[in-house]
Amino acid sequence: MTTETIKPSIWAFANPTRFNTFASKAIPVLAIITFALLAVGLWMSFNAPEDYQQGYTVLIMFIHVPAAWLAMMSYAVMSASAIGTIVWRHPLANVSLRSAAPLGAMFTILALATGSLWGKPMWGTWWEWDARMTSVLVLLIIYLGLIALSKAFDEPSEAALPLAVMTLTGAPLLPIIKFSVDWWNTLHQPASVSRFDRPAMSAEFLYPLLIMALAYTAIFFTLHMMAMRNEILSRRIRTMKMQAARKQSSKGAA
Amino acid sequence: MFGEHASFIIPSYIISFVAIVGMTIYIIAQHKLRKAELKRLEESGIKRRADNG
Repeated sequence: MTTETIKPSIWAFANPTRFNTFASKAIPVLAIITFALLAVGLWMSFNAPEDYQQGYTVLIMFIHVPAAWLAMMSYAVMSASAIGTIVWRHPLANVSLRSAAPLGAMFTILALATGSLWGKPMWGTWWEWDARMTSVLVLLIIYLGLIALSKAFDEPSEAALPLAVMTLTGAPLLPIIKFSVDWWNTLHQPASVSRFDRPAMSAEFLYPLLIMALAYTAIFFTLHMMAMRNEILSRRIRTMKMQAARKQSSKGAA
Repeated sequence: MFGEHASFIIPSYIISFVAIVGMTIYIIAQHKLRKAELKRLEESGIKRRADNG
């Protein structure tokens, strides 16, 4: 296959109108996949045995860990979108960045809240200023800052570049969060799933966790596509309103 | 059910459910509002430049 045959199809899809047409077809399919994964993941989670150390609180792991992964993945999607904005100046890249920020903030809040609810019975504390928790809190602050920045401009296209640059400025936080448990002495245990050797977790906990992580990923992509569609519609409405106002003012002048 | 830690497990699932379902409802509501607004603008004779040919 030549690059000539690939290129037009990619750029044709990157058109906002075509994206909306594609999204209308893709969203129901993604929603069905999400529901199926969630149903299987929750069934497997609630049928997992009690952990010999943590008891039933291991159930919190099945929603806490995917939320924490998605908090980071959302930011990775935003960083990729920021590169798309800076390098190709593509409007869809900015739409993607803006739409992912509230979702990333939601997953970060969920990671912090469920982590706190897991920490109290296991560590005896709701909160500790350790490297992992503090770096995730910083991630939440960055998300909120980026959401505020995106709303600070009247014209979305004017916000695109500053938003992309600020997003990339925060990107080095991702490896800090990931490796914080190795670089500093924290209450969190070192990575037990994403390791170079085999995961340090038994299959009865690992499989429900992986299915729940897939379900959360599907939730993210479904909601992200829906939010992108909304952002495109709101820009279209804004353009039409401006066109109407211009027409009105030129009529008044005549 | 869930032993002595039910008061930590149940709120974790409730918070997650409320946040995800809440976000979904918010996004769907925004979509409906924007579709209605777009329809209202089109009915009042305002067209996008792309629709003008």
